[in-house]
Amino acid sequence: MNEPRFYFALPRLLSKMRGGNTSRAETNATEAWLVGTGIYGVSYLYFAGYLSAISSWWLFGLLLVVLAFGVCLFWLLMFYLNSLILKLLHRVYLFRTIPIRRGQSVLLVTVGTAMAAALLQRGSFVSEIGAIWLTATAMNLVAAAILAFSNGEPARQ
Amino acid sequence: MNRFAVKGIFWRNYLDWAVVNLPFYFYPVPLTFFTIFFFFFAAPARRAIVANLAVVLPGSSRAANHFRAFRVLYNFAWTISEAAIYRLLHEEFSYEIAGAKWLEELGGAPGAIVLTAHMGSYDLGAALFAEKFHREIRVVRAPEPHRESAEHLSASLEGTGETGVKVDYNTAGALLSFDLLKALRDGEIVSIQGDRVEGEVAQISARLFGSEAKMPNGPFVLGLVTQTPIYPLFITRTGCRRYRIIVCEPIRLHPSGNRETDIGRGVADWCTVLEEIVAGHWDQWFAFTPLFAR
Repeated sequence: MNEPRFYFALPRLLSKMRGGNTSRAETNATEAWLVGTGIYGVSYLYFAGYLSAISSWWLFGLLLVVLAFGVCLFWLLMFYLNSLILKLLHRVYLFRTIPIRRGQSVLLVTVGTAMAAALLQRGSFVSEIGAIWLTATAMNLVAAAILAFSNGEPARQ
Repeated sequence: MNRFAVKGIFWRNYLDWAVVNLPFYFYPVPLTFFTIFFFFFAAPARRAIVANLAVVLPGSSRAANHFRAFRVLYNFAWTISEAAIYRLLHEEFSYEIAGAKWLEELGGAPGAIVLTAHMGSYDLGAALFAEKFHREIRVVRAPEPHRESAEHLSASLEGTGETGVKVDYNTAGALLSFDLLKALRDGEIVSIQGDRVEGEVAQISARLFGSEAKMPNGPFVLGLVTQTPIYPLFITRTGCRRYRIIVCEPIRLHPSGNRETDIGRGVADWCTVLEEIVAGHWDQWFAFTPLFAR
């Protein structure tokens, strides 16, 4: 009962290699914090890059604080728009077997990865963070493929 | 504008939408931001938490209690979100039981009162109880200030435990008392939140953390009249979708001929249990109204 279970393919694969449980579970707070703040951090840095042209330091600092809330609102708006798109797709009998949250997850990771790729072009520590995100995403995709082939189960299970 | 008030229907609907639409690993982000938002905009609740904590944690500084109030609101955000997840997505939850002996006894009791507090996920607890013991539980709650919110809450609570949970609102007047009296005599389980008084319901003064506080005397009157045991029960959140159900030794009220004394004794026993639990879990005590007399 106390055996840790994971949501993402990479920790599930690592768990499998250690003889643990590979079934997907949404009960791991560490995972949620790590990925949630990761996505938030990448998108925050992405938008903050557009503020670097501001020469006034106090205005720059103020906008960074406002941006912290703005990024959260941005994602909530993205989720809302995506929910409309998913509804439309379901209505025309497309992707009906994919749960809404899984569809939202695809959006979240795709946009987050696109932002991370943009961070790579910027130099300094920001590009390192972008690289870490891209590497982690690639490793997770590979792990999902390995799990799917080794279990004979779809990666989403 | 009532829809957008802190206790308005907008936020409840939004939470339901977010639970269905947001991936679980993104929850920490909006929950943190909504906690910051409500920390500032739900000022009366914040002030009440700070005032209550000053009594619960004597010697604590006002500044530190503001940080603690943030923690209480943050825990509240997680708790109501997880209750919505349980209700809407039927995801798996795990729980451990402290006082299993008392819980088993309660599950088989021919009529009992569950006395609980605004702590952890009492909604989830009622649903889990009804599911585990296949028994109906009547949950008595303080009325919601907004009609739509009350309807939403009733629907969600009654839906959580499928048909096992029934919600009654504790309003002034004797009608509910008779209902509950009959329910207990028919062998039902009635759950009442006994850590604060809201509205014009019957109340009694008690000593809690060395200060005077008003407690509802309804549960104790019912326990005395029907001679049913009163089980103090609390649900605390121990981690991501993990809960602890704490059941304490029941309070039994024996008629001595003096009703006031009997009830006073029951209330004092309840306050002792409540103090012990709240002292250990102050960060999950969702007491958003001032409880202690100045």
